[in-house]
Amino acid sequence: MKLLLSYLIFPGFLFSACIGLFAGWVDRKVTARIQYRVGPPWYQNFMDIVKLLHKEIIIPEGARLTFLFAPFLGLLSVVLMSTILGRSLNIYASGFSGDLIVIVYLLVMPAIAMIIGASSSENPLASIGASREIKAVLAYELPFILSIIAIIVKSGGSIRIGSILNHQAFAGSNIASFSGALAFIVVLFSIQAKLCFVPFDASEAEQELMAGTLIEYSGLPLAMFKLTKAILLYALPVFLIVLFMGKDISPIFLIGKYILILVSIILIKNTNPRLRIDQTLRFFWGPMAVLAVLALGLTLFGL
Amino acid sequence: MTTSRFYPLLRLDALNSFVVLAIALFSALTIIYSLKFIKEKRLQYYTYIILTAFASIGVVLANNLILLLVFWGFLGLTLYLLVSMGQGSTDAAKKTLIIVGGSDALMLLGVAIIYFLTDTFYLDAIRLEFNSSLAVISYICIALACFAKAGAIPLHTWIPDAAKSAPAPVAAFLPASLDKLLGIYLLARLNLDLFTMNTAMNTFLMVIGAVTIITAVMMALVQHNLKRLLGYHAVSQVGYMVLGIGTGNPIGIAGGIFHMLNHAVYKSCLFFTAGNIEYRAKTSELDELGGLAKLMPVTYISCLVASFSISGVPPFNGFFSKWMIYQGLVTQLQSADYRIQAINILCLAAAMFGSGLTLASFMKLIHAAFLGQPNNALIRRSLQGGHKDEVPFSMWLPPLILAVICVVFGVFAYQIPLRVFIFPAVPGVDFIGTWFAGLSTLLIASGLVLGLFIFRSRGLGSFIRQDAAFMGCEPEDLDKHRITGIEFYNTIKEYGILKGIYQKAESGVYDIYEQVKKVLSGAGRFLQYLHNGVLPSYLIWALLGMIGLFLILMKG
Repeated sequence: MKLLLSYLIFPGFLFSACIGLFAGWVDRKVTARIQYRVGPPWYQNFMDIVKLLHKEIIIPEGARLTFLFAPFLGLLSVVLMSTILGRSLNIYASGFSGDLIVIVYLLVMPAIAMIIGASSSENPLASIGASREIKAVLAYELPFILSIIAIIVKSGGSIRIGSILNHQAFAGSNIASFSGALAFIVVLFSIQAKLCFVPFDASEAEQELMAGTLIEYSGLPLAMFKLTKAILLYALPVFLIVLFMGKDISPIFLIGKYILILVSIILIKNTNPRLRIDQTLRFFWGPMAVLAVLALGLTLFGL
Repeated sequence: MTTSRFYPLLRLDALNSFVVLAIALFSALTIIYSLKFIKEKRLQYYTYIILTAFASIGVVLANNLILLLVFWGFLGLTLYLLVSMGQGSTDAAKKTLIIVGGSDALMLLGVAIIYFLTDTFYLDAIRLEFNSSLAVISYICIALACFAKAGAIPLHTWIPDAAKSAPAPVAAFLPASLDKLLGIYLLARLNLDLFTMNTAMNTFLMVIGAVTIITAVMMALVQHNLKRLLGYHAVSQVGYMVLGIGTGNPIGIAGGIFHMLNHAVYKSCLFFTAGNIEYRAKTSELDELGGLAKLMPVTYISCLVASFSISGVPPFNGFFSKWMIYQGLVTQLQSADYRIQAINILCLAAAMFGSGLTLASFMKLIHAAFLGQPNNALIRRSLQGGHKDEVPFSMWLPPLILAVICVVFGVFAYQIPLRVFIFPAVPGVDFIGTWFAGLSTLLIASGLVLGLFIFRSRGLGSFIRQDAAFMGCEPEDLDKHRITGIEFYNTIKEYGILKGIYQKAESGVYDIYEQVKKVLSGAGRFLQYLHNGVLPSYLIWALLGMIGLFLILMKG
């Protein structure tokens, strides 16, 4: 029962969704300020979700169960992920060993949900979006995994978030070393792509694909995808903090670091043009993979 | 169990008992499936299937190397006969026979060397160290035979061909399940019982495993044929098993063996569903399929579960065994030697990225076959045929059973498969991590139920409306705008150095069989050139030979 509560309220669904929607507002506000606009009020994202819940659900002909099931799948698995993350952040010992790998796998689930949902909608634009999405997954997954392994090696072969945090509390944040800094850059860009933010948003390109993977979604299912995105916007930077800046995670520092990462993601988003999907692939399998391998090599020599 | 009447010849222990069970299960399912699928030469077909099952059980139970060798060789024969029952499969069957049969010869050599070293044929009496080059050679010979059977690099090339042209139940029965079980079982037996492994050998296995994972899955990404794609995945997954066994620590080995069992389950399921698709659509080319989820819901769900399972999506069984293998690799990271560490890291990266690639390739399959835009011609044809629904009962039941096993083995991994089958076989498994699969699934399921409850209670059902999909303000024209999904990964095919590698791979440069064939036919052409059938030239050869002979004799 207690677990169910932590899954649904804190640090699971309700908590992470609220933080995520609020972060979404920060994103919109900062973007607006960069573009010399005023920007929406702080409750705008909450209103959007509530509004979507009241809208009619339109399903393209031919699609049914898979189309409605996909958003559930994505949302539930990110909620599970943020619960695991939040619990092991709260009390180091409460995470189970091996949770790092589980989280890495659960982080792929939203993309899968998106792809399955899109392909079941029978819309050619959604199919193109799905094909771009899966290619983006392939692109960022390689350097992402390499950097995660660098962190595992740095923490003495531990795949438990609690002990990675413990290790950093004694030996200093991972980002403070050469290899850690390199891996941090790589993971920051991978997160940008996982969030489907510019410059890696080819799968949802509004101008050419009309939101691509999401094109046929409306009402409640769309709201669920939006919530999934919001929770990712909360969980991914926290994951980054845990891996790289885990020396001091008392609430004040945690919030400070979170805002720092959030703002840098938003700045990258607003100052870059969209990449084509083959450029994305080239970027991640080229420079980013090299950086990640370099980081791995440096960790072997203890740098 | 040593009191059995058959003891010196056959032996049942913790490692082989569950393999026997699995063989029996897959044989039964294959026979059920074939009832409707196989229409010609039934007598031969069922004879071969039953003989195969019998010989496989013989291999697994054998405690005598000669007996094992006989059963093993017999399996090569039935494999050839079964593969050649497919249409236009003569070449593939020949290739299969040559590769598998050739590796049997290697195994014979290995067995002979073992006898020379130990003076015994009994498996439970053999315990070798790698202290002489002969021991190393014998190990490598038998390991290569295992690789050929299970399909690891470099002897894997028969699997995609055989999978494509053999009948679907045969592909599900032999390359997908039984051959994996046997090959990896023998490898595990070698590593656990027959030989005392050292670091160099383990590293050799790990490198083979990692290379197999990546190369085979990269090939699978660009395939256009459903069964051939699955064949490449059957190769790629062997990489995980070999990698797990190669880690040399209990959890890695247990993970490898568990993955063998899981692989047999989900890969058979996938081949059965491929058979269903072929049965309905009369083709297995991906670009002619599409939108089958509506026609065949049970097949679709089984295929989806098995796809998630093979891609290692939690909480299905594939995730669990892969996760155990990762743990085995991470445990090895504590090794002091930095070269071993580096190899471990590379293998870990290959394994984790490999499962991402697997996922990508199955997303393509799901899109092209079941979702996506339907191929209108196909749908029309099956509507005209008056059978717009599922395939016959005996054909959707086996994949469904296997899909259920996928879920059960994933969610209750500790309670059922690991405790009953795997832990007795591999002593000393020590978990450094525990993943509460059951609990997490419970959370996800409760979330789903809660969501549905809210959905119902608000009466949202009445809000749902179906409408045609639009594109550019007009209802979409599926004949014109169809995205089949086979071109998903052309970007990757065109990527830098991969382009050259793919071109060479498609022309068979990396295929040992093709290379050997080229060398042999080159030699044959030279001999052909000599035998031109003109009498004077033969006379000249005879004369030259006589002169040579005389010269040698005169000297003496």
